[in-house]
Amino acid sequence: MLDRTLLRHFDWVLLGLLIVNCLIGVAAIYSSSHYLTTNYAVRQVFLLAVGMILLVVLLALDYNHLVTYAVYFYFGCLAILAGILVFGKLIAGTKSWIRLPFFQIQPSEITKVVVILMLARIFAEFRKPRITLGRGFLSGAVVGVPFCLVALQPDLGTALNYVPIFIGALILAGIDRRMLALLLIVAILAGLFGWNFLLKDYQKQRILTLLSPGEDPLGSGYHILQSKIAVGSGGFLGKGYMKGTQSQLRFLPARHTDFIFSVIGEEFGFLGVVITLTLFFLMLLRMFQSLMLARDRTGVYLVFMIFILFTGQFFINVLMTIGLFPVAGIPLPLLSYGGSSLITNCIAVSLVMNVRMRRFVNV
Amino acid sequence: MKEKIYEDLSGIRLRARAAFLVIKIAFVLLLLTFWRIQILEHSRYWRQSEANRIREMILPPQRGLIMDRDGRILAMNNAAFQVAIIRENARDLEYSYEKAADILELDQEVIQQRVAKYAALPAFRPIVIKENLRHREVARVESRRSELPELVIQAEPKRNYPNTTCAAHVLGYLQEVSPEEIRSGRYGVRRAGSLVGKTGIERQYEERLVGSDGVKLEIVDSLGRPMGEISRKDPVKGEDLKLTIDLDLQKAAEKELEGREGAVVVMTADRGEILAMASFPTFDPNKFINRFTPEEWLDLVRSREHPLENRSIRGLYSPGSIFKPVMALAGLSNREINPGTSFYCSGGVTIYGHPFHCWFRPGHGSMDLAHAIQNSCNIYFYQLGKRLKIDRISEYARLMGLGRVTGIDLEGEKAGLVPDPDWKRRTQNLPWYPGETISVSIGQGPLLVTPLQAACVTGIIAGRGMPVRPHLLLGESDGERPARVGILPEVFSPVIRGMWMSVNAGGTGHAARVEGFDVCGKTGSTQTIGRETIERLGMDRTSIKTHSWFSGFAPRDNPGVIVTVLVERGGMGGATAAPVAGRLFRLYRRKYAR
Repeated sequence: MLDRTLLRHFDWVLLGLLIVNCLIGVAAIYSSSHYLTTNYAVRQVFLLAVGMILLVVLLALDYNHLVTYAVYFYFGCLAILAGILVFGKLIAGTKSWIRLPFFQIQPSEITKVVVILMLARIFAEFRKPRITLGRGFLSGAVVGVPFCLVALQPDLGTALNYVPIFIGALILAGIDRRMLALLLIVAILAGLFGWNFLLKDYQKQRILTLLSPGEDPLGSGYHILQSKIAVGSGGFLGKGYMKGTQSQLRFLPARHTDFIFSVIGEEFGFLGVVITLTLFFLMLLRMFQSLMLARDRTGVYLVFMIFILFTGQFFINVLMTIGLFPVAGIPLPLLSYGGSSLITNCIAVSLVMNVRMRRFVNV
Repeated sequence: MKEKIYEDLSGIRLRARAAFLVIKIAFVLLLLTFWRIQILEHSRYWRQSEANRIREMILPPQRGLIMDRDGRILAMNNAAFQVAIIRENARDLEYSYEKAADILELDQEVIQQRVAKYAALPAFRPIVIKENLRHREVARVESRRSELPELVIQAEPKRNYPNTTCAAHVLGYLQEVSPEEIRSGRYGVRRAGSLVGKTGIERQYEERLVGSDGVKLEIVDSLGRPMGEISRKDPVKGEDLKLTIDLDLQKAAEKELEGREGAVVVMTADRGEILAMASFPTFDPNKFINRFTPEEWLDLVRSREHPLENRSIRGLYSPGSIFKPVMALAGLSNREINPGTSFYCSGGVTIYGHPFHCWFRPGHGSMDLAHAIQNSCNIYFYQLGKRLKIDRISEYARLMGLGRVTGIDLEGEKAGLVPDPDWKRRTQNLPWYPGETISVSIGQGPLLVTPLQAACVTGIIAGRGMPVRPHLLLGESDGERPARVGILPEVFSPVIRGMWMSVNAGGTGHAARVEGFDVCGKTGSTQTIGRETIERLGMDRTSIKTHSWFSGFAPRDNPGVIVTVLVERGGMGGATAAPVAGRLFRLYRRKYAR
């Protein structure tokens, strides 16, 4: 299956950008956690290695096969998500984890890729200029069911990841005013329902905090304020590697996970922010090129939704660190510490490489 | 399947391109946002991050010592030990509580309650579980350091008065500064909770005793855990003060007063250095440091004997016969009498239609000034008062320093009262009755003095017109001596002769006599209730005890020391106050006079 032609079109550039982004993350993770007992940096390197192996192994399969079998993956994931809702144990207040010996995994992460495969399958043969009501509802349901299951864990942050994917699919499929209006109404109704019946008080507080972070600086605005102070105090060149007072003295919350970007901003300054943004942008750009080279509709959908997934997470996370988005618990893709997220992202990148590699191959 | 190659994807590719354009713009906006936060608003966030990590710690200074004139400690600072628990060092808190309760002989529940009270503090913060440890307890905790690393001993300087009640009124006491006092600025930059001098020397020289705070800047993490020191300015210890007090004389004076109410002032005759200043009943200033029980505090504040009051400077008494030398000086200066002028005492006399009596009912017979002072004859001074009139009496009383504060370096001194017709009209809107002049002539009536003022009057007599400036801080306020009072030096001679005779020639003050020390003095016994009142109520005159005064100096030539004694309701001056003064003169002589 892996012949020479395929190997010739292996996307070394994207792989390189992926690894560089991950290594920036590892450096920042080390800086922000070296004084803790668990060595998160080494763990992240190990997880990256696992991710690389999965990435390469998955390349052996044509993405079209994966899309074809997406239904099985999808219902498998739904079963697991439903299962942990029923049988799972609360870890850190949510039922998002499956606990295994030595490690735990977060099925909601890998579900992101499966939802992308499923949507790609729905739209693979869709050639109308505008989306139809039927496809709209179908794709909405495909995203909505896992969204609700994850939101019930409750892990609204991860659930929010599914929204950019859905939007990405709609953008490509073409969306008219009627459909947009319908979507907005559904979104507003869901929002009102959620605010009144589903959201926990602390989550509401986080959203309100966004509107006035200065209020109650030691309460829910505390994390945002400390993160902003970290980023702002970094200045142009930053305070130096492992010299950020906000992170080293633990004023920053979730330093090696959700707020890793604040650590970069504090220790490497504006320059570090520019470099990190640029490297991430280059990776997105490389993905986008693959989109332009994709040989079929399935490939375009796949790459675009993955592209949007990365972009969405990236923006939500970065805006969160400077107080422009509620603290949602979304990690910075590839940079934040976290096994399930990192491996899922490796698999996603693998799919993009898969599309590019097989652009000349006729099945 | 072939058609797939030719599939037209341009439509969706265009949409993807449009979306990417939006994303590119978003990236540019994001960069601009970071430019704003990290470059334009950098200084603001930098300040905030510095404020986060740097904590300013005030290092309190040690209060200066207070010593007597020979360098013996009157007030010092002891290390008070307390034991605290650092919860994060404990392997098993239950076990720690159990062990600590055992070692400290406390109830385990008491410990748990104290810890629970501060449960919100971070676990590395020590929580005090017992204060004022005995040395045995300190040793017990220290010897279990490796077994119980969570228990730590903290030492804290604590004001201590080793002589307890001795000189308590001179030294004063410390108390927590009140919010009003912080606002008033009187105590400088003191913080809530710090102890400040409230009375006595502790208050008078607060600024010098207190020293100045040190400042330590340290790096802390988000929990406030210290991570290192940036800079440190050590506190400056407060100034040590040496007082004019002589501990031996002070102790002796207080021993004399024990069980009584009254005051003693012993002061050098030349410079006005206070050698002893006692006031009874007294209190223990250590109690203010170690906290009172509520009952103890109420006892102290509500007591009718007012133990917190320094009677030497705040007690107002009629001077009685110790005012007679002032009368004599006024009479001689105004030439109403001369040393040889005699009056006849038959035990009583009628002036302005009122009968006035001498304390010695059989009568002293005819006597001149010196003998009148020696025997404290009332009749002589009634006659003198009648000639002088109230205006000249009050003029000379003021000349001798009465009616105003002496200016001693203690706060709260009272000025006393020198009455005159003006005063009476002002305060009671009544005219001055000539009969009142007769009362004032023997130191009764509205005339009021403090024991320290009495000592200063004696000081002017001893100095033949040179006043003393009483003070407690050794070596200072020695500057220029105050100007002499407007009384000719030779006027003092007959008065001093009378005072010498009072003590050494069988006068009222003979109990103050010290062989070979030429003590000169004057006794006084002041009625605490008017004679008419006694008669009206039909009380037994002897059962009403008078205040007992003695004020004198020694030796007669080149005087060295002044002693003033007041014993409330002590009876006759010659019987109670004079012997006390005699013993103090003797002690002074043994120590200072060659």
